[in-house]
Amino acid sequence: MIKTLTKLTLISFFFMSCVAVKEYEKININDPDMRLSERDLDKYKSTFQSYREAAAGANGGKTGGGCGCN
Amino acid sequence: MEVKQAAVAAVIKINMKKYITFYSIVLLLVSGHIMAQEEEPTEYKKRVLESVEVNLLSSYYTQDGENAAVTGGRGTEELTDIAPSINISIPLNDDDVLTVDATVSAYTSASSSNIDPFDGPQPADPFVASSGASEQDTWFGLTANYAHSSDDRNTIISGNVSFANEYDYSSIGFGGSITKLFNEKNTELQLNVNAYFDSWRPQYPIEFREGFNLSDYSFSGNPNFSSNYTEFQDESRNSYSIGVSLSQILSKSIQTAFIGDVVLQNGLLSTPHQRVYFGDFEDTMVENFTLGNDIERLPDTRTKIALGNRTNFYLNQNFILRTYYRFYTDDWGIDSHTFKAELPIKLGLNYTFYPMYRYYTQTAANDFGEYNTIVSTQEFYTSDYDLAEYDAHQYGIGFKYYDPLNKLNIGGFGLKSINLEYNYYERTTQNFNANITSLSFNFVAN
Repeated sequence: MIKTLTKLTLISFFFMSCVAVKEYEKININDPDMRLSERDLDKYKSTFQSYREAAAGANGGKTGGGCGCN
Repeated sequence: MEVKQAAVAAVIKINMKKYITFYSIVLLLVSGHIMAQEEEPTEYKKRVLESVEVNLLSSYYTQDGENAAVTGGRGTEELTDIAPSINISIPLNDDDVLTVDATVSAYTSASSSNIDPFDGPQPADPFVASSGASEQDTWFGLTANYAHSSDDRNTIISGNVSFANEYDYSSIGFGGSITKLFNEKNTELQLNVNAYFDSWRPQYPIEFREGFNLSDYSFSGNPNFSSNYTEFQDESRNSYSIGVSLSQILSKSIQTAFIGDVVLQNGLLSTPHQRVYFGDFEDTMVENFTLGNDIERLPDTRTKIALGNRTNFYLNQNFILRTYYRFYTDDWGIDSHTFKAELPIKLGLNYTFYPMYRYYTQTAANDFGEYNTIVSTQEFYTSDYDLAEYDAHQYGIGFKYYDPLNKLNIGGFGLKSINLEYNYYERTTQNFNANITSLSFNFVAN
């Protein structure tokens, strides 16, 4: 686990050193389907998955608590 | 003649004085204004949210299976749920946005109805829904989130409070996050914390409740069927989470995010109405129903760790690829992998069609045992097949209409988007499947 976290941290620092994309070059990045978050409707799927599956979290949504789910 | 010239010269002198005085005042005012501008530069600041947005959502969910946890891992899991929801985002000023989300979830559950299988007109049976009070319930949830953005829009601080309630469960939650953008807004780092303080109002299976008298029924088997049973003393459940996410634009067409969450839970983590059958106890039958030997008993602490990555690729003006992967592990012995891919296909400027696929796999919890296999001397046990080892596939299609100009106007609100989705979910190693259809309308105040 520590090794994985270390690798992820190193990769993250690598990405931070990338050349910055200027605001006027972000037309593709700013497309609504490129958002780095779940769609609004995904909250329903996340809810049933949090009841029916043991895993939760790391999706920008619920991580546990707030319901009698797993 | 000389007198006339002198008079003209005097008039010109007076007018000159007037002009000089007038232009001096104008010059002073203008220079003062310029100086004031230099002293207090006014920079254009775009509002975080231009106007009120209203999102109306709804879903219809059905599931079926034959491993209901309420009946110890053997019985109908039939369930239907309708969940309307409204989400309103209100710009309070240039920098602050208040978001309120309210959801009602009304469900009918065959397995919950078998908390008391003897209150229906038909013989008690784990594969047949009873028609008593526990067959239906309504969950209500309300969340309010307040977000403040700094003038340069590189720092966002938010706080949230939530409340949820259903017949046997209540929850109150608090949370907050701080987001920093840097590297010309190419990099985003977010830290968030949440705490939920929940409480159960346990609805134990009918055979464990005071007032249940086995002699009132015609039964076969062991009359001393519940010698292990005691009520839970602690009915609270607390959850604390801390999460970090790092988003990075990798190129003009690729961006990625690493997400990590750690969750600590303590209190009553068992579900009080889920039965367990011991393999070393003789069964006790009433009608077609086997009485439980105990309720599930799980450790009162749990630590969950989830690490995820989301990477989106803008392939061309018609295709986008959205990918997601998550690794999950906890100290109950469950490891899990989730992979999801979605391929939005642009059909012109306003329409998007997106097929999607999700794969999920998990190992079993240490304390999971199949129906009637658990030994009564174990400290912890459950026959909840949601904690068993299994694989699941989810197939879906979605359709989105998006109008950035909000041309269709309804009651002062412009229609921004309509989103319709259908997903089918099935487990390969269990006879369980689910369908979910969801719909949303997003409006923006004109």
